[in-house]
Amino acid sequence: MYIAGVARRLSGHDGVRGDAVEVRIADTTVRAFTDESIAAAALASGVRVLSRSLKYHRPRTFFCLEGHCSGCLVRLGGVPNLRACQAPCTAGAEVVGQNAFPSAEVDLLGAVDFLFSRGLDHHTLMTSSSVLNKLANKVVRQLSGLGKLPDHAVASLPEVQRYDVDVCVIGGGPAGLEAATATARAGRSTVVVDDQLRPGGSMRTDPRTGRQLAEATWQAAASSGVAVLARSTAIGFFPEDDGGVLAVSAPDRLYRVYAKQWIWATGGYAVNLPFGDNDRPGVIAARAVGRLLVDHGIVAGDRVVVIEVPEVTEDATALSGALAAAGADVHRVALHSVVSVKGRSWVSGVVTDRQKLECDIVAVAAIPAPASEGPRQQGCKVVLDPPAGGFKVVVDELGRTTTPNVWACGDVCGYLGPAAAAADGARVGANVIANF
Amino acid sequence: MAGKIVLCRCEDMTLADLEHSVGRGYKDIEEVKRYTGFGTGPCQGKECLAVVATQLARLCKQPPATVPPFTSRPPLAPTPLKLLARDPGAHRFDDDPGDD
Repeated sequence: MYIAGVARRLSGHDGVRGDAVEVRIADTTVRAFTDESIAAAALASGVRVLSRSLKYHRPRTFFCLEGHCSGCLVRLGGVPNLRACQAPCTAGAEVVGQNAFPSAEVDLLGAVDFLFSRGLDHHTLMTSSSVLNKLANKVVRQLSGLGKLPDHAVASLPEVQRYDVDVCVIGGGPAGLEAATATARAGRSTVVVDDQLRPGGSMRTDPRTGRQLAEATWQAAASSGVAVLARSTAIGFFPEDDGGVLAVSAPDRLYRVYAKQWIWATGGYAVNLPFGDNDRPGVIAARAVGRLLVDHGIVAGDRVVVIEVPEVTEDATALSGALAAAGADVHRVALHSVVSVKGRSWVSGVVTDRQKLECDIVAVAAIPAPASEGPRQQGCKVVLDPPAGGFKVVVDELGRTTTPNVWACGDVCGYLGPAAAAADGARVGANVIANF
Repeated sequence: MAGKIVLCRCEDMTLADLEHSVGRGYKDIEEVKRYTGFGTGPCQGKECLAVVATQLARLCKQPPATVPPFTSRPPLAPTPLKLLARDPGAHRFDDDPGDD
């Protein structure tokens, strides 16, 4: 899907985009910059549908721009299932969509969405006849699955490296960087594990903090002696292994991290809200719209509808103001008034109980859901608290979880927003030192 | 006709699927996961777990705090198997012939 001239790069941002490069996305050569992700470059260049969904083959593209959802899985350089939002634009990069025949844009398998417009119960699909069932299984196998095998076998295996440290902080956003800075300044060896292209977390998505504060906070941590592992993901905690090891996947190696104290500062995930056709391409997280604007200098669309819930009104106000200042036309609607969105390959409007609003982008302002599955693997208690965003980590007044030597701070304990999360991180970092 | 309300985009699980699951008596979060497949895709519930759990509490008229999360298992994110191939821990079963 190619729609030129909806998203645009702001000229004032040119100094921090990195070098200009050309990449190939869905058989189209697009202009991009080395500090942009493939997903951001695709949007800025008008390439829209990147993939298809697993069951109904509905069109997909990025939603979160944070490397957590499944919207932007692409085949990059002959390797399937890579997230376009976590892949930097390197010269000559070649990206194609997946889960589609013949292409993500025109996917004939998308017919299943119309044929089963009221839903498809795979438990009972053609189970009454064994002949029909065999046929159905053949069809289902064509429909399902994620990507195709890589073009080539890997040439060399990544290293495995043991990493011993006093304090391991998981998450390099405002809370994590501040907590780590506090423990490193007190003389404790400290590592931050961050899964994004560049550390800074939600600061890179919020116009009230922004790219510059993210860079400054990251640099302050580094100059305090914090080792920051960027593009590195905590993939699991294994308690039975030598007192507990955190496995961390980095681009070139696997780290086995052993720490005396653990601080979870994984923040929250951008999530969607329930309304009709809420999975359409162009319906993206408000934080993703914010990231495009404050981190990449890209206006996602000139006509934006923000669908919001009351708990994040201040965030939505800040984002709407920044978009308007960049020349966009912004409408804000409450979730309870929204019926559905219009458009198939890309959103074209929002239908509320009163009116129909035309738009290029829908920004979903939901409460970020605490990223608490890592703490859960360490046995930390969590509790479902919808106004806090989801399953928040339970902590005491110092920031201690229910597991010894495991702490948590920031949005993972319930949504706070970047400024309050930074303060919480500094506070909990100091408490870790006081209780070492 | 109103469009599908998708709760889990990885597995195309809709609000109607959740209502269908609850209607058939699958009301525990693990049962809903097994019946609908939600939370079993590439995001492993990052986008949908809180949303589904909140809707489940609403449908079952339960206080949210009584709804637990489903079990979290490694890997927390899609991981190329090559990263694990040289991990010494991965060879532990070879060292112990009694453990297969």
